[in-house]
Amino acid sequence: MAHSPLCVRYTTTTIASARRPLFSLTLSHSSTTPCISSIQPRRLLHNHCARTTTSATATRKSFRSKTTSSPSLLRRPYHSTHHPDPPPHEYTNSQTTILSAALRHVPHHGFTRDALTLGARDAGFLDVSVQLFPRAEFDLILFWLASRRGLLRARVENGFFEPDRQLSVEGKIKALIMERLRMNSEIKHQWQDALALMSLAGNIPLSLSELHALSSDVLYLAGDSSVDATWYTKRMSVAAIYAAADVFMTRDASDLAATEAFVHRRVEDSKAIGDKLGGIKECLGFMGSTAVGLGRSWGLKI
Amino acid sequence: MFSRSVSRSLRTTAGRRMGVAEPSYRCFSCTRRAYAESTKPNHDERLTHFGFKDVPETQKESMVGAVFSSVASSYDTMNDLMSMGIHRLWKDHFVRSLNPGSALPSRDTDKNGQGWNILDIAGGTGDIAFRMLDHATNINHDLETRVTISDINPDMLAEGKKRSIQTPYYNTNRLSFIEANAQHMPHIPDNSIDLYTVVFGIRNFTDKQAALVEAFRVLKPGGVFACMEFSKVDNALFNTVYKQWSFSAIPMIGQLVAGDRDSYQYLVESIDKFPSQEEFRGMIHKAGFMIPGRGFENLTGGIAAIHKGIKPLK
Repeated sequence: MAHSPLCVRYTTTTIASARRPLFSLTLSHSSTTPCISSIQPRRLLHNHCARTTTSATATRKSFRSKTTSSPSLLRRPYHSTHHPDPPPHEYTNSQTTILSAALRHVPHHGFTRDALTLGARDAGFLDVSVQLFPRAEFDLILFWLASRRGLLRARVENGFFEPDRQLSVEGKIKALIMERLRMNSEIKHQWQDALALMSLAGNIPLSLSELHALSSDVLYLAGDSSVDATWYTKRMSVAAIYAAADVFMTRDASDLAATEAFVHRRVEDSKAIGDKLGGIKECLGFMGSTAVGLGRSWGLKI
Repeated sequence: MFSRSVSRSLRTTAGRRMGVAEPSYRCFSCTRRAYAESTKPNHDERLTHFGFKDVPETQKESMVGAVFSSVASSYDTMNDLMSMGIHRLWKDHFVRSLNPGSALPSRDTDKNGQGWNILDIAGGTGDIAFRMLDHATNINHDLETRVTISDINPDMLAEGKKRSIQTPYYNTNRLSFIEANAQHMPHIPDNSIDLYTVVFGIRNFTDKQAALVEAFRVLKPGGVFACMEFSKVDNALFNTVYKQWSFSAIPMIGQLVAGDRDSYQYLVESIDKFPSQEEFRGMIHKAGFMIPGRGFENLTGGIAAIHKGIKPLK
């Protein structure tokens, strides 16, 4: 019995290091706490440094350890209540200062180099210092997405759901999507340009990874704890709903009332589709077992 | 036999053109050669590294001058032949990515003055400098940005001055020339430069780290160090083709077109000796610069690479 605490700790660390969400989740659920909700593959690719994982030479390794603070922590692919969440983005302090200052100019200048330049000036840098951002205005968009995602997380931690604890997981998902969309309302008029920029071929991978990170966060914060194939389908449907609502919102002149109705309809749709699929599956299973029983009754060796 | 006679005939034609003052192009080889020739008599120990013959000090200047006047026209052709015209694209891309010039008007709260203060090191013939001034003027409508061209070799500067007559920046305060060693520039005050560029030049510096430290000193906080230089090709297959091209074709072209095999042989050897992207990034980091993102951008599969570093505020 003396070994048991050690064993438990050992199990959790293996869970943490192994990237197999489905199995490890059941373990941690049954043994330790009821709320390690989900363990998710999640990649933050904002910083080039974190991406140069292949063919890492000795020099590259030493360089990386100097520039990024703790890459192992930052690239954690799961959520955990036992460990603090990694920061939502990997920009350095100087970059964050400039980007935060630049965001204040976005309502007027949009997600452009101009906003970035003005941000650099406000932060005490020079015009030329925007060279800190190899992706220029796309870095500004990524920072917006990542920092708002971090803000959403912080809101839930500070009791976003306190008023109505009884909300179902689905209700929470809806509330979180709306909360995230509301953060976009101040830059709604600039958001179409940003979406256009995000849909450029070279920018699509990072945009999608950010969308996945958001849908993953939404489900985690809503308390979803599915451990089967629905882990994937749920994330995909939340991502699809959010992306559609994001586009819808750019044309919504009604202070987000229409958007809210839109999100509501989409959630209902996805529920209906899920129900239908479940019904079809059940029906097929029933028909299959009937066919097998019928065959056996005819003397077939099934 | 044929090639020798061709090269001889080319050389004699080049010789006849001696006195013609044609605007030279800033090329891979001329900076290096001019630099090597000019530093030779003073630093005997570096001669072996360059692998060139000794030249008497009295003849040096006239020889360099003769070389320049006689083959200036073929240098332009040589650059295009060796890189198949791609060097123009690289230079355009370099300048466009730096986006020199302030497109936004200065506000009352801004502490920095109008326009950028750009220092172009080893910028002899003004190739990069004119491009930057053109970009600032035509794209960003910034008439304040100024460029100082610095080169260790007076002949290269003379070429640049000659060429600047054709530009609208001739005799304005937006363009100036200084003759200086990039490793030690006491006449340039601390924290005075917005953008420091060195294009196909740092390869020929004796002490690259000292030049980087000097760059760090002269740059304003937030200022940018940008460097374009030949680098290492990352694809093994492409590298084979590239090495074949550079070690057999380039000296051959040099011999046929410029009548000078040794210089071009040296050119490809010095490219081979230059540190890899990661090593050079490490050197920039060591000098105190912040490295944006990955720190370098490969051009044409790594034949050349653009390195950047930003001086931190504190």
